[in-house]
Amino acid sequence: MKRLIGLLAAIILVVSGVSSTNAAPRLEIPETVFDFGYVPQNSKISHDFWLMSTGDDTLKILKVVPG
Amino acid sequence: MLAVGDSTKLEIIFSTKRYKNRVTKRPRIQTNEGPPNKYVQIVSHVVERPDSTYPVIIRPYKLDLSQFTQKVRDKITFEIKNVSDMKLDLSLVSVPEGLFELDLPKSVKPGGEVKGTLKLKKKAISESFEKSFTIQLNDEKKSRFTIPVKRTVRMAGTPGKTAVSNTGSRK
Repeated sequence: MKRLIGLLAAIILVVSGVSSTNAAPRLEIPETVFDFGYVPQNSKISHDFWLMSTGDDTLKILKVVPG
Repeated sequence: MLAVGDSTKLEIIFSTKRYKNRVTKRPRIQTNEGPPNKYVQIVSHVVERPDSTYPVIIRPYKLDLSQFTQKVRDKITFEIKNVSDMKLDLSLVSVPEGLFELDLPKSVKPGGEVKGTLKLKKKAISESFEKSFTIQLNDEKKSRFTIPVKRTVRMAGTPGKTAVSNTGSRK
């Protein structure tokens, strides 16, 4: 019986260990494309995109590289 | 850092410079999620002659609310002229939060002209900024027009951004 309890405890530890290493950040962008349409030359225009953290770990935004 | 379930805004600024015609930009967002990288994309049609666009012409095509005296400039009007032969409905598709409010007519008759008004929000009166808003028409192409809005606040003897609010107190 003791052996069985020990085995169960070991399984639980292993399973919980596996699930914590599987935690992953995830970035979701509901709108990925924005069309400004007609814009004049020599101007600055802007648009806000929403970024959502939908994973099961903290999302770190490291860099935004201009395209 | 974004906690699980949180969200944030990413502002993409595009300087149209001397570009012409269709311009697409695709900034890459690098996170700890790892590859593949994620992207957002902006598309625009940069025009040399914004005073001859179709199906509407917007005048002025750039709005400048700069303020160089104590007198508060918090409102500007613009005209939308329909140069097509169909009634056009106007809708606002993108406007920056917290800076200004827009009063946009719902539609403009063929050959007609309507006025829109941009009014600064109180908390934006002391701000200098360069933003824009985008309107969409209900024509076949669902044409969009983006109007840049610039505000520089500078007063004599004060190199920084200083303004006087509606109540007259210095901010």
